Amino acid sequence: MSLMDSLAAGFSLVGNFEAFFMLFVGLVVGVVAGAIPGLSATMAVALTLPFTFAMTPINAILLLLGVYKGGIFGGSIPAILIKTPGTPASSATILDGHPMAERGEAGRALGMALYASCTADAVSNLALILFAGWLASFALNFGPPEFFALILFSLTIIAGVSGESLLRGALSALAGLLLATIGLDLVYGTNRFTFGNPNMMGGLNFIAVLIGLFAIPEIINMAWNPVAHLGRTRALGKSRCSWADYKNSFKTIIRGSMIGVFLGSIPGIGAAPSAFLSYSEARRTSKNKENFGKGEIEGVAASEAGNNGVAGATLIPLLALGVPGDVITAIIIGAFMVHGLQPGPMMFILNVDIIYGLFIGLIVSSVFLLIVGSVAIRGFRFVADLPKRILMPGVLILCIYGVFAVNNNIFDVGVMFVMGWVGYIMMRNRIPAAPFLIAFILGPLLEDNFRQAMLMSGSDPSILFRGPITWFFWFLTFVTVFAITRSTLRKKVPLS
Amino acid sequence: MSEKTLHLRLGIFTCLVALFLIFYAIPSFVFSPSNVGNIILSPLFWPYVLAGLTVIVGLGLLANAVTSAKDTPFEDEETVHPEGSAPWMRLGALAVIMVLVMVGLPTLGMVWTAMLAFAACAFLFRTRHPVAAVVCAVIAPLLLYAFFAHVAGVAIPQGNFVRLP
Repeated sequence: MSLMDSLAAGFSLVGNFEAFFMLFVGLVVGVVAGAIPGLSATMAVALTLPFTFAMTPINAILLLLGVYKGGIFGGSIPAILIKTPGTPASSATILDGHPMAERGEAGRALGMALYASCTADAVSNLALILFAGWLASFALNFGPPEFFALILFSLTIIAGVSGESLLRGALSALAGLLLATIGLDLVYGTNRFTFGNPNMMGGLNFIAVLIGLFAIPEIINMAWNPVAHLGRTRALGKSRCSWADYKNSFKTIIRGSMIGVFLGSIPGIGAAPSAFLSYSEARRTSKNKENFGKGEIEGVAASEAGNNGVAGATLIPLLALGVPGDVITAIIIGAFMVHGLQPGPMMFILNVDIIYGLFIGLIVSSVFLLIVGSVAIRGFRFVADLPKRILMPGVLILCIYGVFAVNNNIFDVGVMFVMGWVGYIMMRNRIPAAPFLIAFILGPLLEDNFRQAMLMSGSDPSILFRGPITWFFWFLTFVTVFAITRSTLRKKVPLS
Repeated sequence: MSEKTLHLRLGIFTCLVALFLIFYAIPSFVFSPSNVGNIILSPLFWPYVLAGLTVIVGLGLLANAVTSAKDTPFEDEETVHPEGSAPWMRLGALAVIMVLVMVGLPTLGMVWTAMLAFAACAFLFRTRHPVAAVVCAVIAPLLLYAFFAHVAGVAIPQGNFVRLP
């Protein structure tokens, strides 16, 4: 199929009101959810997922991508106004955005956040369109040993989402891998940790586990401290982001976008490290470096470009290799699977219309984000004023309906509650949930490909090093492990 | 709590869980056909590998706790964790609500159970808008029922008492 044929096929899927409407609705939901502290973009995508079951695959994925992109931008609104990042990705935006709000320049900071986000989003989408197809055609040469090496490499990058302690991140990932062993054995079909319960033979439901891990702990935390969220909102002020502001920060925005694209295309790193790296690079090279941290608009541009640059790029490994780039794309992989699609190189052959439909939708999403974001900046007050002690019970019943709807099974609701308490205990003990979820998704793939490789070779482990592709991923794995070990040791023994 | 204390507790817990897996859970609850000649292909192999790695991480946590010099509490300890017994009571009450939801779903039906759960949670969280909470508790489950039952075609449990159209 030629490029024009593929584009035409994509247009035939998304060239209707419903598809663009879903994308728009997704962006609105994402921005609103991102703007409510405690209701992260991850949670918003997870809660939206059950609503997509009755939709066509393209509309469902566009809705979720809209929520994802809207959520990442929406997180900057409370970060600037009430010094509370709506999403972890917006943490860097606080550094300069909030001091600007304190000076009465909240409107200018939010405007820059929006323009930087839209520009970075467009750059990121372009990178996805240019590189995903190329990577997928390369990945067609992959067999089980190559996939095993790739997934092992992806697991090592869990270090990036481990937060403050690598050991606690590793513990979380191991718990996810162990939980993924529940169900029938992939080769022999024997029971593993099913305790004779037929509901557990297919393994634990992915949606129940992820909603349990990400949404329910917030509700439990609300029971623990119902007044923790109370904060003071600030006025927008009369200042606005001017063309001169945008032009002066353009170089920073493009650099931040590139950093976002690069880090986003590596599975497991996510938006927050990208935002901080972009911010530190902007500070290092800026003429106004002494103003950073005190309300420098270039700092807002850098951090927002860094985190939004990740959004499109995380879809590169997802679409090309079937490997989630971060937690949200891990949920979106679940959406693909729910709709009978398997992301990966074969999707570029079997479902090329969906791939190109998504590309078209993503290009349009940058324009929609500009519109939705402009309105959201003015209307944020209504969002921020939603009483959280009514919102959270609403989230609880939404979780119950949503999780039940996946398989029409009450058992899944129970799994969600149990995982919610597990997630809460992890939260209280500062164990990050993201490595758990990524390992839960990648675990069965890792084991499956390992055992397939062993079956192919008659249990000869040398097949895992059979060619340049496996060597490449083993090399990356060793380099990453070396870098992680070195940085951990440096943290432990600080240089004076 | 300091990082040292946290890692000590987590390390001990992790090692105990790993030993439980190796000596009891995996032999008892993972079944392997008797004709599997090579351990690498056995259904037992992967769980044992993971349990072994868990021991290593547990020991790593213990080693970190023992060798760590600083014993200062985490900075946000006070703000995140309020003192007194009321938070524990609320946690217990929320756990009871969840158990009652599981009991109520097949008997009362999802809509009525969700209404009660919504209202109970709102009052548990000490809402300052009780009237709005009750209104939302009635409307939100009905709207969700309308969407899932009539748009998405999901067979929402109706319970044994009042059935919705």
